[in-house]
Amino acid sequence: MTAKADSSPSGAAPGARSLHRFANPGRFLRASARVQTWLWAAAALVLGAGLVWGLFLSPADWQQGQTVRIMYVHVPMAWLAMGGYTALAVASIMSLIWRHPLADLFARELSPVGALVTALCLATGSLWGRPMWGTWWVWDARLTSVLVLFFLWLGHAALTRAFEDQERGARVGAILALVGIVNIPIVKFSVDWWNTLHQPASVTRLDAPGMHVDILYPLLTCAFGFSLLFGAVVLARTRAAVMERRIRALQLARARREEAAGA
Amino acid sequence: MTRKKRRLYILLLCGLGLGSATALTLTAFQDNLVFFRSPSDIMREAPPANRAFRLGGLVEAGSLERATGADGKPTANFRVTDGAHAIRVSYAGVLPDLFREGQGVVTLGTMLPDGSFRASEVLARHDETYMPPEVADALKRAGHWNPAQGAAPPPAEWNTAPRRGG
Amino acid sequence: MTHTFFIAASYALVLLGFGALVLDAARRHASAKRLLAELDPRGDRP
Repeated sequence: MTAKADSSPSGAAPGARSLHRFANPGRFLRASARVQTWLWAAAALVLGAGLVWGLFLSPADWQQGQTVRIMYVHVPMAWLAMGGYTALAVASIMSLIWRHPLADLFARELSPVGALVTALCLATGSLWGRPMWGTWWVWDARLTSVLVLFFLWLGHAALTRAFEDQERGARVGAILALVGIVNIPIVKFSVDWWNTLHQPASVTRLDAPGMHVDILYPLLTCAFGFSLLFGAVVLARTRAAVMERRIRALQLARARREEAAGA
Repeated sequence: MTRKKRRLYILLLCGLGLGSATALTLTAFQDNLVFFRSPSDIMREAPPANRAFRLGGLVEAGSLERATGADGKPTANFRVTDGAHAIRVSYAGVLPDLFREGQGVVTLGTMLPDGSFRASEVLARHDETYMPPEVADALKRAGHWNPAQGAAPPPAEWNTAPRRGG
Repeated sequence: MTHTFFIAASYALVLLGFGALVLDAARRHASAKRLLAELDPRGDRP
Protein backbone atom coordinates (compact mmCIF):
# COMPACT_ATOMS: atom_id res chain seq x y z
CA MET A 1 0.00 0.00 0.00
CA THR A 2 2.26 2.81 -1.13
CA ALA A 3 1.16 5.38 -3.68
CA LYS A 4 -2.47 4.30 -3.48
CA ALA A 5 -2.87 6.86 -0.75
CA ASP A 6 -4.50 9.28 -3.16
CA SER A 7 -7.62 7.14 -2.99
CA SER A 8 -8.01 8.42 0.55
CA PRO A 9 -11.45 9.83 1.26
CA SER A 10 -10.02 12.68 3.33
CA GLY A 11 -9.06 14.75 0.34
CA ALA A 12 -8.90 17.84 2.53
CA ALA A 13 -5.89 16.54 4.44
CA PRO A 14 -2.42 17.61 3.24
CA GLY A 15 -1.03 15.16 0.71
CA ALA A 16 2.11 14.26 2.61
CA ARG A 17 0.22 13.49 5.78
CA SER A 18 -2.38 11.28 4.15
CA LEU A 19 0.42 9.39 2.41
CA HIS A 20 2.11 8.80 5.72
CA ARG A 21 -1.22 7.71 7.06
CA PHE A 22 -1.68 4.86 4.63
CA ALA A 23 1.95 3.93 4.13
CA ASN A 24 2.42 3.30 7.80
CA PRO A 25 -0.53 0.88 8.26
CA GLY A 26 0.65 -1.08 5.22
CA ARG A 27 4.00 -1.62 6.79
CA PHE A 28 2.28 -2.44 10.06
CA LEU A 29 0.13 -5.12 8.41
CA ARG A 30 3.12 -6.80 6.79
CA ALA A 31 5.29 -6.68 9.88
CA SER A 32 2.55 -7.85 12.26
CA ALA A 33 1.52 -10.78 10.04
CA ARG A 34 4.57 -12.77 11.08
CA VAL A 35 4.46 -11.65 14.70
CA GLN A 36 0.82 -12.67 14.90
CA THR A 37 1.38 -16.33 14.05
CA TRP A 38 4.07 -16.68 16.70
CA LEU A 39 1.99 -14.82 19.25
CA TRP A 40 -1.01 -17.14 18.87
CA ALA A 41 1.21 -20.22 19.04
CA ALA A 42 3.12 -19.00 22.10
CA ALA A 43 -0.11 -17.99 23.85
CA ALA A 44 -1.69 -21.42 23.28
CA LEU A 45 1.43 -23.20 24.49
CA VAL A 46 2.18 -21.13 27.60
CA LEU A 47 -1.42 -20.67 28.67
CA GLY A 48 -2.22 -24.33 28.14
CA ALA A 49 0.74 -25.34 30.28
CA GLY A 50 -0.04 -22.71 32.92
CA LEU A 51 -3.71 -23.67 33.27
CA VAL A 52 -2.96 -27.39 33.56
CA TRP A 53 -0.23 -26.63 36.10
CA GLY A 54 -2.45 -24.32 38.12
CA LEU A 55 -5.59 -26.40 37.98
CA PHE A 56 -4.18 -29.92 38.42
CA LEU A 57 -0.50 -30.07 39.28
CA SER A 58 0.06 -27.29 41.81
CA PRO A 59 -0.52 -27.90 45.53
CA ALA A 60 -3.46 -26.60 47.55
CA ASP A 61 -2.92 -23.73 49.98
CA TRP A 62 -2.63 -24.44 53.69
CA GLN A 63 -5.49 -22.06 54.51
CA GLN A 64 -7.56 -21.72 51.36
CA GLY A 65 -7.36 -25.31 50.20
CA GLN A 66 -8.30 -25.82 46.55
CA THR A 67 -9.90 -22.37 46.29
CA VAL A 68 -6.41 -20.90 45.84
CA ARG A 69 -6.67 -22.07 42.22
CA ILE A 70 -9.03 -19.17 41.47
CA MET A 71 -5.99 -16.95 41.96
CA TYR A 72 -4.36 -18.37 38.81
CA VAL A 73 -7.03 -16.68 36.71
CA HIS A 74 -7.93 -13.76 38.99
CA VAL A 75 -4.45 -12.26 39.42
CA PRO A 76 -3.52 -12.33 35.68
CA MET A 77 -6.83 -10.56 34.93
CA ALA A 78 -5.98 -7.89 37.51
CA TRP A 79 -2.47 -7.39 36.12
CA LEU A 80 -3.80 -7.21 32.55
CA ALA A 81 -6.51 -4.74 33.55
CA MET A 82 -3.86 -2.40 34.96
CA GLY A 83 -1.09 -3.11 32.43
CA GLY A 84 -3.53 -2.81 29.56
CA TYR A 85 -4.75 0.52 30.88
CA THR A 86 -1.16 1.78 31.05
CA ALA A 87 -0.77 0.76 27.39
CA LEU A 88 -3.99 2.67 26.63
CA ALA A 89 -2.54 5.76 28.28
CA VAL A 90 0.70 5.48 26.27
CA ALA A 91 -1.32 5.13 23.05
CA SER A 92 -3.38 8.16 24.09
CA ILE A 93 -0.25 10.26 24.58
CA MET A 94 0.99 9.18 21.13
CA SER A 95 -2.40 10.05 19.71
CA LEU A 96 -2.63 13.49 21.34
CA ILE A 97 0.95 14.65 20.80
CA TRP A 98 2.09 12.96 17.58
CA ARG A 99 -1.39 12.32 16.14
CA HIS A 100 -0.33 8.78 15.35
CA PRO A 101 -3.19 7.14 13.44
CA LEU A 102 -2.27 3.61 14.48
CA ALA A 103 -2.39 4.64 18.13
CA ASP A 104 -6.03 5.70 17.66
CA LEU A 105 -7.00 2.37 16.13
CA PHE A 106 -5.06 0.45 18.75
CA ALA A 107 -6.75 2.32 21.61
CA ARG A 108 -10.18 1.81 20.08
CA GLU A 109 -9.61 -1.94 19.73
CA LEU A 110 -7.93 -2.26 23.13
CA SER A 111 -10.66 -0.87 25.36
CA PRO A 112 -13.39 -3.53 24.85
CA VAL A 113 -10.78 -6.22 25.60
CA GLY A 114 -9.64 -4.29 28.67
CA ALA A 115 -13.22 -3.90 29.86
CA LEU A 116 -13.82 -7.65 29.56
CA VAL A 117 -10.62 -8.50 31.39
CA THR A 118 -11.50 -6.12 34.23
CA ALA A 119 -15.00 -7.60 34.43
CA LEU A 120 -13.44 -11.07 34.66
CA CYS A 121 -11.12 -9.83 37.40
CA LEU A 122 -14.11 -8.56 39.40
CA ALA A 123 -16.17 -11.72 38.78
CA THR A 124 -13.44 -14.18 39.71
CA GLY A 125 -12.54 -12.07 42.74
CA SER A 126 -16.14 -12.20 43.84
CA LEU A 127 -16.21 -15.97 43.37
CA TRP A 128 -13.11 -16.19 45.58
CA GLY A 129 -14.40 -13.73 48.17
CA ARG A 130 -17.68 -15.52 48.82
CA PRO A 131 -16.14 -18.73 50.24
CA MET A 132 -12.96 -17.12 51.67
CA TRP A 133 -13.96 -13.74 53.10
CA GLY A 134 -17.60 -14.60 53.53
CA THR A 135 -18.91 -11.94 51.14
CA TRP A 136 -19.28 -11.41 47.40
CA TRP A 137 -18.47 -7.73 47.54
CA VAL A 138 -17.41 -4.97 49.92
CA TRP A 139 -16.88 -1.30 49.22
CA ASP A 140 -13.25 -1.18 50.29
CA ALA A 141 -10.68 0.96 48.51
CA ARG A 142 -9.24 -1.86 46.35
CA LEU A 143 -12.52 -3.27 45.10
CA THR A 144 -14.04 0.15 44.54
CA SER A 145 -11.03 1.46 42.61
CA VAL A 146 -11.06 -1.63 40.35
CA LEU A 147 -14.77 -1.03 39.71
CA VAL A 148 -13.85 2.55 38.71
CA LEU A 149 -11.21 1.08 36.38
CA PHE A 150 -13.90 -1.08 34.78
CA PHE A 151 -16.09 1.98 34.19
CA LEU A 152 -13.12 3.85 32.69
CA TRP A 153 -12.56 1.00 30.22
CA LEU A 154 -16.27 0.93 29.34
CA GLY A 155 -16.40 4.71 29.07
CA HIS A 156 -13.44 4.74 26.69
CA ALA A 157 -14.94 2.00 24.53
CA ALA A 158 -18.27 3.85 24.35
CA LEU A 159 -16.82 7.34 23.87
CA THR A 160 -14.49 6.46 20.99
CA ARG A 161 -17.48 4.97 19.19
CA ALA A 162 -19.93 7.77 19.99
CA PHE A 163 -18.78 10.27 17.35
CA GLU A 164 -19.54 10.33 13.65
CA ASP A 165 -16.02 11.65 13.11
CA GLN A 166 -13.71 8.83 14.22
CA GLU A 167 -10.75 11.13 14.75
CA ARG A 168 -12.75 13.30 17.12
CA GLY A 169 -13.91 10.20 19.02
CA ALA A 170 -10.29 9.08 19.34
CA ARG A 171 -9.27 12.52 20.66
CA VAL A 172 -12.00 12.59 23.32
CA GLY A 173 -11.29 8.97 24.27
CA ALA A 174 -7.58 9.72 24.66
CA ILE A 175 -8.35 12.58 27.05
CA LEU A 176 -10.61 10.33 29.12
CA ALA A 177 -7.92 7.62 29.18
CA LEU A 178 -5.30 10.09 30.43
CA VAL A 179 -7.59 11.55 33.09
CA GLY A 180 -8.32 8.01 34.23
CA ILE A 181 -4.64 7.12 34.63
CA VAL A 182 -4.69 8.64 38.15
CA ASN A 183 -6.76 5.62 39.12
CA ILE A 184 -3.93 3.16 38.36
CA PRO A 185 -1.67 4.08 41.31
CA ILE A 186 -4.80 4.19 43.47
CA VAL A 187 -5.66 0.60 42.50
CA LYS A 188 -2.09 -0.54 43.05
CA PHE A 189 -1.43 1.15 46.38
CA SER A 190 -4.94 1.13 47.85
CA VAL A 191 -4.04 -1.93 49.92
CA ASP A 192 -1.04 -0.12 51.41
CA TRP A 193 -2.52 3.34 51.89
CA TRP A 194 -5.79 2.38 53.54
CA ASN A 195 -7.24 -0.47 55.54
CA THR A 196 -8.91 -2.77 53.07
CA LEU A 197 -10.47 -6.19 53.22
CA HIS A 198 -8.36 -7.14 50.21
CA GLN A 199 -4.93 -8.52 51.12
CA PRO A 200 -1.73 -6.62 50.20
CA ALA A 201 0.45 -7.67 47.25
CA SER A 202 2.24 -11.02 47.54
CA VAL A 203 4.32 -11.16 44.38
CA THR A 204 5.55 -7.60 43.86
CA ARG A 205 6.90 -7.07 47.34
CA LEU A 206 10.23 -5.46 48.07
CA ASP A 207 11.49 -8.49 50.00
CA ALA A 208 10.89 -12.05 48.80
CA PRO A 209 7.43 -12.90 47.44
CA GLY A 210 5.10 -14.10 50.20
CA MET A 211 4.13 -17.00 48.01
CA HIS A 212 5.74 -20.41 47.91
CA VAL A 213 7.44 -21.21 44.60
CA ASP A 214 5.08 -24.16 44.03
CA ILE A 215 2.24 -21.64 43.86
CA LEU A 216 4.21 -18.70 42.45
CA TYR A 217 5.55 -20.42 39.31
CA PRO A 218 2.19 -21.62 37.96
CA LEU A 219 0.83 -18.12 38.67
CA LEU A 220 3.62 -16.47 36.69
CA THR A 221 3.15 -18.98 33.84
CA CYS A 222 -0.59 -18.26 33.72
CA ALA A 223 0.06 -14.51 33.85
CA PHE A 224 2.53 -14.74 30.97
CA GLY A 225 0.17 -16.96 28.96
CA PHE A 226 -2.81 -14.65 29.47
CA SER A 227 -0.63 -11.66 28.53
CA LEU A 228 0.38 -13.35 25.28
CA LEU A 229 -3.25 -14.17 24.49
CA PHE A 230 -4.32 -10.62 25.36
CA GLY A 231 -1.62 -9.27 23.05
CA ALA A 232 -2.60 -11.66 20.24
CA VAL A 233 -6.28 -10.71 20.49
CA VAL A 234 -5.58 -6.96 20.53
CA LEU A 235 -3.13 -7.30 17.62
CA ALA A 236 -5.65 -9.28 15.55
CA ARG A 237 -8.35 -6.71 16.29
CA THR A 238 -6.05 -3.82 15.37
CA ARG A 239 -5.03 -5.56 12.12
CA ALA A 240 -8.70 -6.12 11.31
CA ALA A 241 -9.45 -2.46 12.01
CA VAL A 242 -6.61 -1.31 9.74
CA MET A 243 -7.89 -3.56 6.95
CA GLU A 244 -11.48 -2.43 7.50
CA ARG A 245 -10.44 1.19 7.15
CA ARG A 246 -8.64 0.39 3.92
CA ILE A 247 -11.74 -1.45 2.70
CA ARG A 248 -13.93 1.57 3.41
CA ALA A 249 -11.51 3.79 1.48
CA LEU A 250 -11.45 1.41 -1.49
CA GLN A 251 -15.24 1.09 -1.54
CA LEU A 252 -15.61 4.85 -1.44
CA ALA A 253 -13.09 5.26 -4.26
CA ARG A 254 -14.90 2.67 -6.35
CA ALA A 255 -18.25 4.36 -5.78
CA ARG A 256 -16.73 7.69 -6.83
CA ARG A 257 -15.23 6.13 -9.99
CA GLU A 258 -18.57 4.63 -10.94
CA GLU A 259 -20.28 7.94 -10.32
CA ALA A 260 -17.75 9.75 -12.48
CA ALA A 261 -18.12 7.16 -15.26
CA GLY A 262 -21.89 7.45 -15.14
CA ALA A 263 -21.91 11.25 -15.35
CA MET B 1 7.62 20.44 15.73
CA THR B 2 6.77 23.34 18.01
CA ARG B 3 3.13 22.35 17.89
CA LYS B 4 4.01 18.87 19.10
CA LYS B 5 6.20 20.35 21.85
CA ARG B 6 3.36 22.65 22.90
CA ARG B 7 0.91 19.77 23.04
CA LEU B 8 3.41 17.84 25.14
CA TYR B 9 3.77 20.71 27.62
CA ILE B 10 0.02 21.23 27.85
CA LEU B 11 -0.38 17.51 28.55
CA LEU B 12 2.33 17.54 31.23
CA LEU B 13 0.75 20.59 32.89
CA CYS B 14 -2.70 18.96 32.87
CA GLY B 15 -1.18 15.80 34.34
CA LEU B 16 0.47 17.79 37.11
CA GLY B 17 -2.78 19.57 37.96
CA LEU B 18 -4.84 16.39 37.82
CA GLY B 19 -2.32 14.48 39.94
CA SER B 20 -2.14 17.08 42.69
CA ALA B 21 -5.93 17.54 42.70
CA THR B 22 -6.35 13.79 43.15
CA ALA B 23 -3.73 13.63 45.90
CA LEU B 24 -5.45 16.51 47.76
CA THR B 25 -8.88 14.91 47.40
CA LEU B 26 -7.63 11.54 48.64
CA THR B 27 -5.94 13.17 51.63
CA ALA B 28 -9.10 15.12 52.44
CA PHE B 29 -11.29 12.02 52.32
CA GLN B 30 -8.75 9.81 54.06
CA ASP B 31 -11.16 8.91 56.86
CA ASN B 32 -13.91 7.79 54.50
CA LEU B 33 -11.57 5.61 52.47
CA VAL B 34 -10.67 3.50 55.47
CA PHE B 35 -12.68 0.31 55.35
CA PHE B 36 -12.27 -0.60 59.02
CA ARG B 37 -10.86 0.87 62.22
CA SER B 38 -8.36 -0.84 64.50
CA PRO B 39 -8.75 -1.25 68.29
CA SER B 40 -6.14 1.50 68.76
CA ASP B 41 -8.21 3.86 66.61
CA ILE B 42 -11.23 3.12 68.82
CA MET B 43 -9.23 3.72 72.01
CA ARG B 44 -7.93 7.02 70.68
CA GLU B 45 -11.27 8.26 69.44
CA ALA B 46 -14.39 6.60 70.76
CA PRO B 47 -17.03 6.13 68.07
CA PRO B 48 -20.53 7.52 68.71
CA ALA B 49 -22.79 5.06 70.51
CA ASN B 50 -25.27 3.05 68.43
CA ARG B 51 -23.50 3.96 65.22
CA ALA B 52 -22.45 0.91 63.21
CA PHE B 53 -18.83 0.81 62.05
CA ARG B 54 -16.24 -1.79 61.08
CA LEU B 55 -13.66 -3.04 63.53
CA GLY B 56 -10.67 -4.92 62.15
CA GLY B 57 -7.56 -6.64 63.44
CA LEU B 58 -6.27 -10.09 64.30
CA VAL B 59 -8.21 -12.67 66.30
CA GLU B 60 -6.24 -12.88 69.54
CA ALA B 61 -4.64 -16.27 70.23
CA GLY B 62 -6.59 -18.30 72.79
CA SER B 63 -9.50 -15.87 72.94
CA LEU B 64 -12.04 -17.72 70.78
CA GLU B 65 -15.00 -19.36 72.53
CA ARG B 66 -17.65 -21.03 70.42
CA ALA B 67 -21.07 -21.87 71.82
CA THR B 68 -24.63 -22.52 70.72
CA GLY B 69 -27.14 -19.80 71.48
CA ALA B 70 -30.61 -20.28 72.94
CA ASP B 71 -32.13 -20.30 69.44
CA GLY B 72 -29.74 -23.05 68.32
CA LYS B 73 -27.60 -20.68 66.24
CA PRO B 74 -23.84 -20.83 66.75
CA THR B 75 -22.30 -17.94 68.65
CA ALA B 76 -18.71 -16.87 69.02
CA ASN B 77 -16.82 -14.65 71.45
CA PHE B 78 -13.28 -13.54 70.67
CA ARG B 79 -10.95 -10.60 71.04
CA VAL B 80 -9.76 -8.48 68.12
CA THR B 81 -6.28 -7.07 68.63
CA ASP B 82 -3.82 -4.92 66.75
CA GLY B 83 -0.95 -5.63 69.12
CA ALA B 84 -1.40 -2.53 71.28
CA HIS B 85 -5.07 -2.86 72.25
CA ALA B 86 -7.76 -5.52 72.11
CA ILE B 87 -11.57 -5.35 72.04
CA ARG B 88 -13.95 -8.12 72.99
CA VAL B 89 -16.35 -9.09 70.19
CA SER B 90 -19.53 -11.14 70.38
CA TYR B 91 -21.16 -12.57 67.28
CA ALA B 92 -24.11 -14.85 66.55
CA GLY B 93 -23.91 -16.65 63.23
CA VAL B 94 -21.70 -18.83 61.08
CA LEU B 95 -18.05 -17.78 60.88
CA PRO B 96 -16.34 -17.78 57.45
CA ASP B 97 -13.97 -20.61 56.43
CA LEU B 98 -10.77 -18.66 56.89
CA PHE B 99 -11.69 -17.54 60.41
CA ARG B 100 -9.20 -18.76 63.01
CA GLU B 101 -7.04 -17.43 65.81
CA GLY B 102 -4.16 -15.33 64.54
CA GLN B 103 -6.07 -14.53 61.33
CA GLY B 104 -7.22 -11.07 60.27
CA VAL B 105 -10.93 -10.27 60.56
CA VAL B 106 -13.19 -7.35 59.75
CA THR B 107 -16.39 -7.14 61.77
CA LEU B 108 -19.38 -4.83 61.33
CA GLY B 109 -21.37 -3.80 64.40
CA THR B 110 -21.75 -1.36 67.29
CA MET B 111 -20.03 -0.70 70.61
CA LEU B 112 -21.95 -1.79 73.69
CA PRO B 113 -21.98 0.29 76.90
CA ASP B 114 -19.59 -2.19 78.57
CA GLY B 115 -16.88 -1.43 76.00
CA SER B 116 -17.29 -4.62 74.02
CA PHE B 117 -18.30 -4.86 70.37
CA ARG B 118 -21.43 -6.58 69.12
CA ALA B 119 -20.86 -7.80 65.54
CA SER B 120 -23.64 -8.43 63.05
CA GLU B 121 -21.22 -9.54 60.31
CA VAL B 122 -17.77 -11.14 60.44
CA LEU B 123 -15.51 -11.28 57.38
CA ALA B 124 -12.21 -13.14 57.34
CA ARG B 125 -9.26 -11.21 56.01
CA HIS B 126 -6.73 -13.21 54.07
CA ASP B 127 -3.04 -12.45 54.61
CA GLU B 128 -0.64 -12.34 51.69
CA THR B 129 1.03 -15.66 52.53
CA TYR B 130 0.50 -18.59 50.17
CA MET B 131 2.12 -21.95 50.85
CA PRO B 132 1.34 -25.64 50.42
CA PRO B 133 0.06 -27.43 53.55
CA GLU B 134 3.25 -29.52 53.80
CA VAL B 135 5.39 -26.40 54.02
CA ALA B 136 3.14 -24.91 56.71
CA ASP B 137 3.28 -28.18 58.64
CA ALA B 138 7.06 -28.35 58.35
CA LEU B 139 7.38 -24.81 59.66
CA LYS B 140 5.04 -25.54 62.56
CA ARG B 141 6.88 -28.75 63.41
CA ALA B 142 10.23 -27.01 63.34
CA GLY B 143 8.85 -24.57 65.90
CA HIS B 144 9.33 -21.61 63.58
CA TRP B 145 5.76 -20.56 63.59
CA ASN B 146 2.50 -20.93 65.42
CA PRO B 147 -0.27 -19.64 63.12
CA ALA B 148 -2.40 -18.64 66.11
CA GLN B 149 0.33 -16.29 67.30
CA GLY B 150 0.57 -14.24 64.15
CA ALA B 151 1.92 -13.95 60.66
CA ALA B 152 4.18 -16.49 59.01
CA PRO B 153 7.96 -16.04 59.27
CA PRO B 154 9.60 -13.92 56.56
CA PRO B 155 9.29 -15.66 53.19
CA ALA B 156 13.06 -15.76 52.74
CA GLU B 157 13.11 -18.45 55.43
CA TRP B 158 10.81 -20.85 53.64
CA ASN B 159 10.26 -19.78 50.11
CA THR B 160 13.33 -20.82 48.17
CA ALA B 161 14.10 -23.71 50.47
CA PRO B 162 13.49 -27.19 49.06
CA ARG B 163 10.33 -28.80 50.34
CA ARG B 164 10.63 -30.76 53.51
CA GLY B 165 8.26 -33.25 55.10
CA GLY B 166 4.84 -33.75 53.58
CA MET C 1 -12.86 -27.24 52.31
CA THR C 2 -13.30 -27.63 48.61
CA HIS C 3 -15.33 -25.13 46.73
CA THR C 4 -15.54 -26.88 43.39
CA PHE C 5 -18.41 -24.71 42.21
CA PHE C 6 -16.53 -21.45 42.77
CA ILE C 7 -13.37 -22.75 41.09
CA ALA C 8 -15.25 -24.21 38.12
CA ALA C 9 -17.31 -21.03 37.68
CA SER C 10 -14.17 -18.85 37.72
CA TYR C 11 -12.36 -20.90 35.10
CA ALA C 12 -15.50 -21.25 32.99
CA LEU C 13 -16.09 -17.48 32.97
CA VAL C 14 -12.50 -16.70 32.00
CA LEU C 15 -12.39 -19.38 29.28
CA LEU C 16 -15.76 -18.29 27.89
CA GLY C 17 -14.74 -14.63 27.91
CA PHE C 18 -11.43 -15.21 26.19
CA GLY C 19 -12.96 -17.77 23.83
CA ALA C 20 -15.50 -15.20 22.67
CA LEU C 21 -12.72 -12.61 22.21
CA VAL C 22 -10.56 -14.98 20.19
CA LEU C 23 -13.43 -16.14 17.97
CA ASP C 24 -14.61 -12.58 17.34
CA ALA C 25 -11.09 -11.35 16.53
CA ALA C 26 -10.43 -14.30 14.20
CA ARG C 27 -13.77 -13.83 12.41
CA ARG C 28 -13.25 -10.10 11.90
CA HIS C 29 -9.67 -10.60 10.77
CA ALA C 30 -10.59 -13.32 8.26
CA SER C 31 -13.52 -11.43 6.77
CA ALA C 32 -11.51 -8.21 6.45
CA LYS C 33 -8.69 -10.11 4.74
CA ARG C 34 -11.11 -11.77 2.32
CA LEU C 35 -12.89 -8.52 1.44
CA LEU C 36 -9.60 -6.70 0.97
CA ALA C 37 -8.34 -9.40 -1.38
CA GLU C 38 -11.56 -9.04 -3.38
CA LEU C 39 -11.44 -5.26 -3.61
CA ASP C 40 -7.73 -4.88 -4.20
CA PRO C 41 -6.35 -8.13 -5.63
CA ARG C 42 -2.97 -6.62 -6.57
CA GLY C 43 -2.41 -4.76 -3.34
CA ASP C 44 0.80 -5.77 -1.63
CA ARG C 45 -0.59 -6.97 1.63
CA PRO C 46 0.13 -10.11 3.61
